[in-house]
Amino acid sequence: MPGRGSRSYGAQVIREALTNWGVRFGLAWIAILVLAAVFAPLLANSHPLLLSEQGHISSPMLRYLTPGDVSLLVIFFAAIGLLFVPVRPRIKFGVFVIAVIVTVLVTHWFVVPPKLTIYEQYRDDQAAGKYDWVVYAPIPYSPKDYLRDQGDTGLEAPLSETHQVHYFGTGTNGADVLSRMIYAARIALGIGFVATGIAMAIGVVIGGLMGYFSGLIDIIGMRLVEIFEAVPTLFLLLTFVAFFGRSLYMMMAIIGITSWSGYARYIRAEFLRLRQQEFVLAAIASGLPLRSVLFRHMLPNGVAPLLVAASFGVASAILAEAVLSFLGLGLVDDPSWGQMLNEAVQSSTFYWWLAAFPGGAIFLTVFAYNLMGEALRDAIDPYLKKKAA
Amino acid sequence: MLLRVDNLHTHLRSGGQIVKAVDGVSFHIDRGETFCLVGESGSGKSISALSVMRLLPRDISSHPAGRILFDYRHDNGSTEQVDMLTLPEERARHVRGSRITMIFQEPMNSLNPVFTIGDQIVEALQVHHPDIDYAEARERAIAALVQVQIPSAAERFNEYPHRLSGGQRQRVMIAMAMVGEPDLLIADEPTTALDVTVQAEILRLMRDLQERRGTSILFITHDFGVVAQMARRLAVMRRGQIVETGSVDDVFHHPQHDYTRQLIAALPENLTRARRLSMTETAPKPTPSPPAPTLLDLRKLEIYFPIRKGILRHTVGYVRAVDGIDLQIPRGQILALVGESGCGKTTLGRAVLRLIPPTGGAIYFDGHDLTRLGRAKMQPFRREIQFVFQDPMASLNPRMTIAGTLTEPMAVHGIGENKDDRLERARQALTQVQLDPDWVWRYPHEFSGGQRQRICIARALVLDPRFIICDEITSALDVSVQAEILQILLQLRRERDLTLLFITHNIAVVEYLSDEMAVMYNGKIVERGVTAKVCSSPSDPYTQRLLSAVPRVAL
Repeated sequence: MPGRGSRSYGAQVIREALTNWGVRFGLAWIAILVLAAVFAPLLANSHPLLLSEQGHISSPMLRYLTPGDVSLLVIFFAAIGLLFVPVRPRIKFGVFVIAVIVTVLVTHWFVVPPKLTIYEQYRDDQAAGKYDWVVYAPIPYSPKDYLRDQGDTGLEAPLSETHQVHYFGTGTNGADVLSRMIYAARIALGIGFVATGIAMAIGVVIGGLMGYFSGLIDIIGMRLVEIFEAVPTLFLLLTFVAFFGRSLYMMMAIIGITSWSGYARYIRAEFLRLRQQEFVLAAIASGLPLRSVLFRHMLPNGVAPLLVAASFGVASAILAEAVLSFLGLGLVDDPSWGQMLNEAVQSSTFYWWLAAFPGGAIFLTVFAYNLMGEALRDAIDPYLKKKAA
Repeated sequence: MLLRVDNLHTHLRSGGQIVKAVDGVSFHIDRGETFCLVGESGSGKSISALSVMRLLPRDISSHPAGRILFDYRHDNGSTEQVDMLTLPEERARHVRGSRITMIFQEPMNSLNPVFTIGDQIVEALQVHHPDIDYAEARERAIAALVQVQIPSAAERFNEYPHRLSGGQRQRVMIAMAMVGEPDLLIADEPTTALDVTVQAEILRLMRDLQERRGTSILFITHDFGVVAQMARRLAVMRRGQIVETGSVDDVFHHPQHDYTRQLIAALPENLTRARRLSMTETAPKPTPSPPAPTLLDLRKLEIYFPIRKGILRHTVGYVRAVDGIDLQIPRGQILALVGESGCGKTTLGRAVLRLIPPTGGAIYFDGHDLTRLGRAKMQPFRREIQFVFQDPMASLNPRMTIAGTLTEPMAVHGIGENKDDRLERARQALTQVQLDPDWVWRYPHEFSGGQRQRICIARALVLDPRFIICDEITSALDVSVQAEILQILLQLRRERDLTLLFITHNIAVVEYLSDEMAVMYNGKIVERGVTAKVCSSPSDPYTQRLLSAVPRVAL
């Protein structure tokens, strides 16, 4: 369509997708999650953000930041900054990847929080009148603060007590549910993106080779796909957890390695179709190297259905982690939505707040990704567009 | 008067915009007459027909003005004039299907693949004549199939559409449209997707049926040759408006409107005639030059595709797409390879560039056997031999700017010193194909089909090739655009001493463009020689059949 003022297909798809209310809702929810994950130490922390002790101002919150907290903050601001720098997308992506690696390494070596964490220290000191003034985070409880100083370390319904407010109640150990949920957003997002990223990387390479070369490579590749499709992810995860203990990274890797087959199928089908397209033949005919044919000419034109699949994949990875945690095989002490659901049904009583809030978060997140996936599919589908034209 | 369209306006909503697809069209069709709507793509001729049928989706189309008056014949024989635009949907549905029927361009898509052809005809009949029982409907369906000359119609009644060829499917479509004995048949480019010999049969069939039944036909086409065969009156459409109406003779020989004149002048037949006239005036005859050395030499070239069956995929036979072809193209010549779909001409073209591996034989280019070269040794020839593809919509990478498309091959072949130099060459190439050089930063979707095809030619030119294979490069284009592309090719040949292999099914284009022609049939070359000679006195029976089937404009 000449003269529409649209520069590229990508911009057109994004514009089309953004007109969909589902996408707006989904993006808003994911944005909230991202912000919660990045700024978790500022939102929920037993350590005061700022305090003044006999005229001396300090920030215990900063002192207790972990390497993970610092990396997330730095990466987040680097990403925001890069968005506004006018360079080519490919360079942006490269800079971003390098920034992530450097930040993770640097913070790992240089950010050393105190070994011993005593959450009640500041509350005790404040009660003893040691401070001039104290600024707490909106939710003055860390996710692993089991409120041992309060005496009653048990379950409490939301807003049931007046002297200490727990908006979403407390869990079995007495930890604040909202605080734990905020920190759990990190795991949910992380496992979704990393696991899907691994799956996509493997799927694109294997599927691309199958589709482009077809023949024998295709036959071997498809058998590989079938083998991996026959592996039940959840049982593999259970086995690995049983043998090697609980690790978030292992979960990401296993979910990624077992779920690439769908992406490989998509890319294979796209490449089989694209290989017959005349612009690909033209690229081959003019002697372009294989790398260029595959990654400059075919992949950008075949990646669209993959994005749709990926947004559903993120949702299912989050669910897989939640299921694992619900079964009690997730991370031990770190907060996770699934694990909180597990707490809700552990004893004979049903604690509704432990089910409703984390369950709602899982539902909304999966729903948001599905909405976005569906809208993306509509936006890239030329047939639907033709109907409207 | 059977149908009178009065000042019809059809607006289509696309995104937030209103497109005036039909903008004040008026015409009429008498009983028993064939009326042609002629126009290039996007001129609104199909939308006009769909408006008459009321087949446009209500939510995106509107008719701000106009009337479509149709002489509705009641079952008891009395007639009543109805306005199709204001008719209630219930009655409009009855009119459409029993009094007005339609056949479409793409026979491959217009039959439902999960029902037998017989059932589809019976259904079309029974929907509008519920009083007919199945046995009678079946009788009439078979009679209709006989009428459209489907061989052994009674047995074919239970065939599924995939068992029929394109031409046979179009016959079934016609049978389905005619079985209810409509008063008006709308044919929207019914032969465009068919081979020229099949087209000739279908056109003859439609003329016969019309004579016998007295059905009126609204015939929509872009092909003036077909118009000349089918109609006595025609209307030329452009941008939603009728620019000229009249009898076929008048419009062809004394076109009144500039646009009609341009269209008729752009017909390849007329291009040939115009050149012949100018040649006889200026240069009497080019002195026969000594025979040029052969540039491309195909020797016993064979390309077989294995037919595999069973779970073990063992080969049970071969499709002989190219079956032992010898062909020489001298330097600086344009050789046209002519044939109908499925004759192997595209396979042959692609094999020269090793896009398809040959089964046997040799391809000598300038003395080197391309079939024996490895990937690295082949590389210089990928520069010297270029390919322009048929579908301009599919042959440019939609995610790449024109600059990227043009400069990437240059970088690979080491043409140009740096990026800026290559970009400059890309701009020059665009100028050569008569496009604005500043368009290098655009994406393919911003161009029309003709512009894209020029970009494809520019992509071939930037590598400074000696030989270009053009595979049906004008068949997806409108006739005026086709004329421009052909002229660009001829000019480039003069300037750059190019050799062309021009693959096409369009005889008129061959006559205009090529020095020699080779006719291909079932993977073999049946006749080859100087174009003018082959066209005027073909010796092979297939060539004779092909040439006689070409619809010509009597000029």
